[in-house]
Amino acid sequence: MTTVSTWRWPTPSGWPPLPLVGGVLALLCALWLTAPIVEVDFVRLIGSLGKMVGFTGQMFVTPDWNYVPQLLAKMLETIEMTILGTAIAIVLSLPMGILAARNATPHIAVYRLTRDVLSLMRALPELVWALVFVSAVGLGPLPGVMALAFVTVGFMGKFFAEAIEVVDRKAVEGVRAHGAGWLQVRLFAMLPQALPDFVGTVMYILDHNLRAAAILGLVGAGGIGYDLVMSMRLFQYDRLLLIALAIYLVVTLLDRASDRLRSRIIHGKQA
Amino acid sequence: MSAISIQSVTKRFPNGFEALKGIDAEIKSGSFTVVLGPSGAGKSTLLRLMNGLETPTSGEVRIGGESVDAHKLRHIRSKVAMVFQQFNLVDRLSVVTNVLTGRLAHRSWVGSVFYLFRKEDMEIAQEALARVALTDKAWNRADKLSGGQQQRVGIARALAQQPKVILADEPVASLDPVSSEEIMALLREICDRDGITVVVNLHQVELARRFADRIIGMNSGKIVFDGNPEQMTQSVLRTIYQREGIEDDNSLDMALAYA
Repeated sequence: MTTVSTWRWPTPSGWPPLPLVGGVLALLCALWLTAPIVEVDFVRLIGSLGKMVGFTGQMFVTPDWNYVPQLLAKMLETIEMTILGTAIAIVLSLPMGILAARNATPHIAVYRLTRDVLSLMRALPELVWALVFVSAVGLGPLPGVMALAFVTVGFMGKFFAEAIEVVDRKAVEGVRAHGAGWLQVRLFAMLPQALPDFVGTVMYILDHNLRAAAILGLVGAGGIGYDLVMSMRLFQYDRLLLIALAIYLVVTLLDRASDRLRSRIIHGKQA
Repeated sequence: MSAISIQSVTKRFPNGFEALKGIDAEIKSGSFTVVLGPSGAGKSTLLRLMNGLETPTSGEVRIGGESVDAHKLRHIRSKVAMVFQQFNLVDRLSVVTNVLTGRLAHRSWVGSVFYLFRKEDMEIAQEALARVALTDKAWNRADKLSGGQQQRVGIARALAQQPKVILADEPVASLDPVSSEEIMALLREICDRDGITVVVNLHQVELARRFADRIIGMNSGKIVFDGNPEQMTQSVLRTIYQREGIEDDNSLDMALAYA
């Protein structure tokens, strides 16, 4: 009983708030009840460990060096798709973000409509949109870029809007009080303040899009994806190893670059 | 001719709080007016009405003969600059860009889309920075400056607007005594040299006495004193700062003894 009297939650009664306790309990119950439905089975998981180790072991083979030129060409295509798709998406998401931010939208109806359009754009994964665009414009990297840009606008528009919604209202008032117009307030008071969040989002999305672009080849939408899936199906682990390493390398480099850029933007040039 | 005319203005906020209970005042062009009063007296609301940041529940505010209404806010604001307690600068922009935002009222959105300003705007901004002695900080980011310096940027932004009126809402409340003195002297100098009408909300009685042409005392939404600094006696101060329901307020006497 001593614990009860010495330990207190920062609430009037000293006990954790009831909704919190209830919520956590309900969540645990839900997990316990639903685990069998999705076949989460620890016995099976442990039983299959051996197979997993076996598969990983097969990856340690001498790489197929003859494949390197084609790998480089395909990786370059993947990176180009990523950058192009993301760049198109940035241009489109900035205005969408302004329209979808509660404090920047011209009207609450526009806010709701834009939010709904953005949800629709990101409702389906890139792969599905790529299928749609492949049947529309044919095989190749173009439908891949279109699919990437499309889904990215859905995500980035939402992230941008949320970054705009948390900007400091004092600065906005400061600019507004000096007679700046509608667009000027958004450009000079809101966007500069939301910039660090924007950059963070863009860097994350680049990372995400590179991984998405790496799989789009599966449906004939360009990039390394086709080779990746084919070498898996044909058990060409000597190629698979190289492809996996190449993707990992590019993602890591991107991560390093994003760290630098972000701290530069947040702290200014001298940092 | 009065620069600012406030005619039977009341302001009730949506939560039911009545901030202003019938205010009438004329403020002469080129004068330096200080508004004194306890927190919650309605000083800020009154000032914000003059810039259209709030709209009156009834009554009218006129700036240079023109009514402050929602349809021509931008036009009114191009003549009325505002200096804030928390400076309200855009932290992430350079000092000079912050000053340039004072020019936006006079420019269309077309150039603004590309962050472009005219050459004469840049000259006006540099001149304003020279007035507040911050030329050497022009390209620093606004949030790298000290509080006193940031407030001077705020004043430079107001100057760049080339306004008829500068409203300052507790401009020295976040500053140390030396910076406060600097800021008040700067505002006074702008009033004297440029003939700009200045209205300042203050908590410092002593600063009000030294810098103001005219002092308006407010208490719970009403004007309780209006006169020059010499007329502001100890008993007037008691009226301005008295608290509702407290007859013999000892802490009031203590606080005002050396004011």
